[in-house]
Amino acid sequence: MLDARSAMASAKPFVSEALTLREAPDFTIQQLSWFTTADEKSLKQALGAMPLRVGSTAESDHGLLLRIGPRQLWCFGKLPEFYGDVLVTPLSSSRTRIEVAGAKSRDLLTHCAAIDFHENAFKPGHFVMTGIHHTPVTIHCIAENQFHLYALRTFGLSVWEWLVDASEGLTNA
Amino acid sequence: MTAFRRRGSGGRIDRTTTIPFTYDGSRLFGHGGDTLASALLASGKTLVGRSFKYHRPRGFLSAGVEEPNGLFTLGEFGRTEPNMPGTLTEVHEGLIAKSQNAWPSPDFDVMAVNSLASPLFGAGFYYKTFMGPFKRSWMFYEPFIRKAAGLGRATEQTDTARYDVINGFCDVLVVGAGPAGLATALTASRSGLRVVLAELDFELGGSLLSGTNESLERWRKSAIEELSQQPNTRILARTVVQGLYDGNQALLHTRAVPGSVASRSESLRFKTIIHCSGAIERPLVFHNNDRPGVMLAGAVRTYLNRFALAPLKQAVVVTNNDSAYATAFDLAEADVAVTIAELRAAPSGDLLARAAQLGIAIFPNTGIADVVGTKQVQQVKLGGRHSVTIDCDVLAMSGGWSPNVHLTSHGGIKPRYDEKIAGFVPGEFAAAHFGAGSVLGEFGILAAVRGGEAAARASLEFIGHKKSVKAVEPPPIRDDRAYGISSVWGTASDAKKAFVDFQNDVTAKDVRSTHQEGYLSVEHMKRYTTLGMGTDQGKTSNINALAMMADLRGLSIQETGTTTFRPPYLPLTIGALAGRSVGHHFRPTRRSPMHDWHESHGATFIEAGLWMRAWYYDWAGPSPETAYVKEMQLVRKGVGIADVSTLGKIDVQGPGAAEFLNRVYVNGFAKLAVGKARYGVMLNDDGVVLDDGTTSHISENQFYLTTTTAQAGEVMSWLEYLLQCHWPDMKVHVTSLTDEWGGMAVSGPKSRETLQLAFPETDFSNEGLPYMGVKDITFDGATVRILRLSFSGELAYEVHCPANFAIALWEHILRAGEPLGIKPYGLEALASLRIEKGHVAGLELDHRNTLDDLGLGKMAAKEKPFIGKELRQRENLQAPERRSLVGLELMEPDKKLRGGSILFAATDEIKGHGRGYVTSVTWSTELQKFIALGLYQGGLEHEGEEIIAAFPLKNEQARLKLVSPHFIDKEGARLHA
Amino acid sequence: MRIPCPHCGEREVSEFRYGGDASRVRPQHGTGDLVAWHDYYFTYDNPKGPHTEHWQHVLGCRQWFTLRRDTATNEILGDAP
Repeated sequence: MLDARSAMASAKPFVSEALTLREAPDFTIQQLSWFTTADEKSLKQALGAMPLRVGSTAESDHGLLLRIGPRQLWCFGKLPEFYGDVLVTPLSSSRTRIEVAGAKSRDLLTHCAAIDFHENAFKPGHFVMTGIHHTPVTIHCIAENQFHLYALRTFGLSVWEWLVDASEGLTNA
Repeated sequence: MTAFRRRGSGGRIDRTTTIPFTYDGSRLFGHGGDTLASALLASGKTLVGRSFKYHRPRGFLSAGVEEPNGLFTLGEFGRTEPNMPGTLTEVHEGLIAKSQNAWPSPDFDVMAVNSLASPLFGAGFYYKTFMGPFKRSWMFYEPFIRKAAGLGRATEQTDTARYDVINGFCDVLVVGAGPAGLATALTASRSGLRVVLAELDFELGGSLLSGTNESLERWRKSAIEELSQQPNTRILARTVVQGLYDGNQALLHTRAVPGSVASRSESLRFKTIIHCSGAIERPLVFHNNDRPGVMLAGAVRTYLNRFALAPLKQAVVVTNNDSAYATAFDLAEADVAVTIAELRAAPSGDLLARAAQLGIAIFPNTGIADVVGTKQVQQVKLGGRHSVTIDCDVLAMSGGWSPNVHLTSHGGIKPRYDEKIAGFVPGEFAAAHFGAGSVLGEFGILAAVRGGEAAARASLEFIGHKKSVKAVEPPPIRDDRAYGISSVWGTASDAKKAFVDFQNDVTAKDVRSTHQEGYLSVEHMKRYTTLGMGTDQGKTSNINALAMMADLRGLSIQETGTTTFRPPYLPLTIGALAGRSVGHHFRPTRRSPMHDWHESHGATFIEAGLWMRAWYYDWAGPSPETAYVKEMQLVRKGVGIADVSTLGKIDVQGPGAAEFLNRVYVNGFAKLAVGKARYGVMLNDDGVVLDDGTTSHISENQFYLTTTTAQAGEVMSWLEYLLQCHWPDMKVHVTSLTDEWGGMAVSGPKSRETLQLAFPETDFSNEGLPYMGVKDITFDGATVRILRLSFSGELAYEVHCPANFAIALWEHILRAGEPLGIKPYGLEALASLRIEKGHVAGLELDHRNTLDDLGLGKMAAKEKPFIGKELRQRENLQAPERRSLVGLELMEPDKKLRGGSILFAATDEIKGHGRGYVTSVTWSTELQKFIALGLYQGGLEHEGEEIIAAFPLKNEQARLKLVSPHFIDKEGARLHA
Repeated sequence: MRIPCPHCGEREVSEFRYGGDASRVRPQHGTGDLVAWHDYYFTYDNPKGPHTEHWQHVLGCRQWFTLRRDTATNEILGDAP
């Protein structure tokens, strides 16, 4: 197997008492797209689960599912056999995943994106597709104060630098 | 000279802490709780600056945000901040303050001679003197005038402070933490909704901070205590709500806590906003009303009660309303001898009785005729019914109060003049906006508290909050008293030096002459006199000026209207808006998946849009001029490898994919066989070229589309627009793969051999992979897509793979090709090779050119429809005089050919826009001369002619030969080799 | 300014791309009718007041949608009448 290289090979984790940032590599994303509600139904059957609204997630036998569009999903596991018009686009290299954790993680996110990150408004299991540093980033709340950020790979290091710069201000204050 | 003394007790200062600070080089001391203004007054500095035009001595007029005179430059080196009001600046250790607009010091200012020449500096002085018939003179004089006049200067050093910009969300935003704001915030906070209370002072309480009533103080403290314990409530002191914007957004700026260097801006989205922003006191207009020691009456009371600063012995109060009596009474109780010049016939009866009790003399129907003393008030001459001269240290004036309608007007809602209070109040609030207290012209404390609670309840109802909320206990004080204002603005408005706008040195006389010269609208008056401009934006001057203008025009103040209120409310340093988006973080950087390799293998990078691209490599030479030529030779003679990952790449999938591409490209894609690629061009609806690229047919329902680097985002959105907005029935999904796939071009006569060594199991013969063939292979566990296409004109391939494996694959190909001499080549060589081949790229595809302009007209399908087919038939797009693509060769080897040069026919006069221009230039290794692509009227009809390239910026001209844009291998033999 | 994305909810305007007047009807693909295309592409109103527009949530779900907006006040209006 060819060596896999991350877009953030040069970045070191940022560790402080209330805030930790590090790369969370090694994930698989398959984008699934379809056209009709019938397609969606059969896909739901094949996967065993289906998040219904854009921005919601579901755990399935085939891994985590993120509903990224009205007729699109991201699947983080191994795909089942499909029947019908389901299109697959592998996207595992297209994103860099950054994990943000700690008591100040919500504070950090308010420095970076125009989303309401209050704990009552953005709960574990939710995700948003929004902008950080002018680039599209998907932010997934995986636990109370723990988040996965999916930045476009080619902007990954730049988004990382932007997050670390904000973190330094937060933890030195 | 001293006007004030620090009292032995009282006030909100902490006498146990003594804080040293530096003012104009000398070391002074203040106490905790002091502002720079109160500390300077306590140190005997009454005179703290010189005025803008006349360099008249000036002292503090106010104790708050409205301060027009007491502005300072704070800090030093990169941390220098000019024009900071001393009335808002907290004294802290390490504070360095410098006075402004005075040299060498405010006490002795050389430019004060301007004051003697003041008749020259009247309204419109600059316009009349320097912008008259000889317009050039303004250009000449401006730098000198700016130096002599004006306020503080910004530093040219790098600011080392940290400016954060954050995003906030709340249900209720309360602006101002006076009695109305506190009551509002209490009520809103008890609902459990998310509340933000913003206060520009460093202490909460607003007008309550200037009083002495103990039950009010208890009420204030208990309100703050309750609020600070509510987890749903954020209290932001030192915070100015700078502006309101569409969609219920506010910009808040929080000043740095003294001693720290981090200020913060917040873009706050609220569901409702409650304006409790209070009111600002107005000066009165009389001769020499700008002398140090002449202050707003409310400010004198603030200095007395909050900062424990009493006038030395004597004070005069002049007023047209009852509010100033509170100042007079508090002064008298602090053993200051007080005289009141009452502009009205009489104040309310109970005030007369109380004044008599305190031994205060009141002169009714009397104002101020003159103020004696240049650097400090010494005497006041009363005029009107009584002409008396009184010694005094401080003259406290009140022309009434102006509700702070700045913020309430940002949504375009014009304020309304209210005769009852002789001031402007907010116009009718838009949905989600509420208000309470003196901003509405309700000046009493109980009215503020009751109004605040009511406004909070109304806002909760607006949000849809149903639960009941506990009432706010009002402070146990007597009922509010009437304000009793009379619209008397001054007594001596014909005086020479009766200032209306202190900061801009605009006098009553200036306002009158502005009217006489025909500037009737308030907006014209503002621009002609500069009244209302500057860092205070006329916070103290507006009403007086409007009242005068209304009077001169015989209109009501409402009819005269106000100028427009725009954000920011207070001067805001640009850094606070830029936030962290400076330097390296000014914009994001985009890096190819092979970036790290380039970096560690001698690449010099160049920015191309947001991308960092390998420009050239050090194996080829130390400078781009020589290196790219060597890299080009490598490709023409041997084999090179270049990173082309920046190309836009799009997955087009679904049963309708072929038909979809057939619609968007001018050439046919319906019959492209699987395993084949085709060069395609797409147009906009208007028939102009949008982009080009190569699209491959991967499997029955799947295509791999590439775009130019520059247009990747544009093309992606365009395809999505067509599918989602106009052709929703087409079964096609598009997904950007630009980040998913890395790409490398392997080019040169030895490229086939190289790839054969790299992928020995794949057939690279002309049969196995012909020109424009595509092949997906699996190599070492990864999907690798090999396309045989060429940008350079040589035998060449592109190898694409998922970005995670791009470096590994790149290194693999380099290792395999090592015996053949493979080396990397950069963007400069890549772009130059394509010029030799005559390929158009971003510089030619500039959204203005048609297919025919670019020599691609033959690509357009005759039969099938495609986007842009109709509108490309427009007459103007067919006109023979259009510019079209040509090749150019430099005929004078000693000269330079530059991109952007203007092209002329040999017989033309070198003037104007010419017949075309040069788009791309390079040194040709094959032809050993400079060659270029360009657009020229008539295009190749002129093939073989000699033309002129002019570059007026450098005054250069060079002779060129107009040739075919295909400089090498016109038959394409190399491609098909 | 905030824009309501029908899929993601209300978001900052900076997450969106403006796509112009959505009230015009695009001529059928391949009509060949130069005048119809000309009218569609070049002649449209620029009203002060309610306006039906295309927007794309370009930093979010990438979906295009139509929106009614008052161009004078930036107020987001309900569905088209």
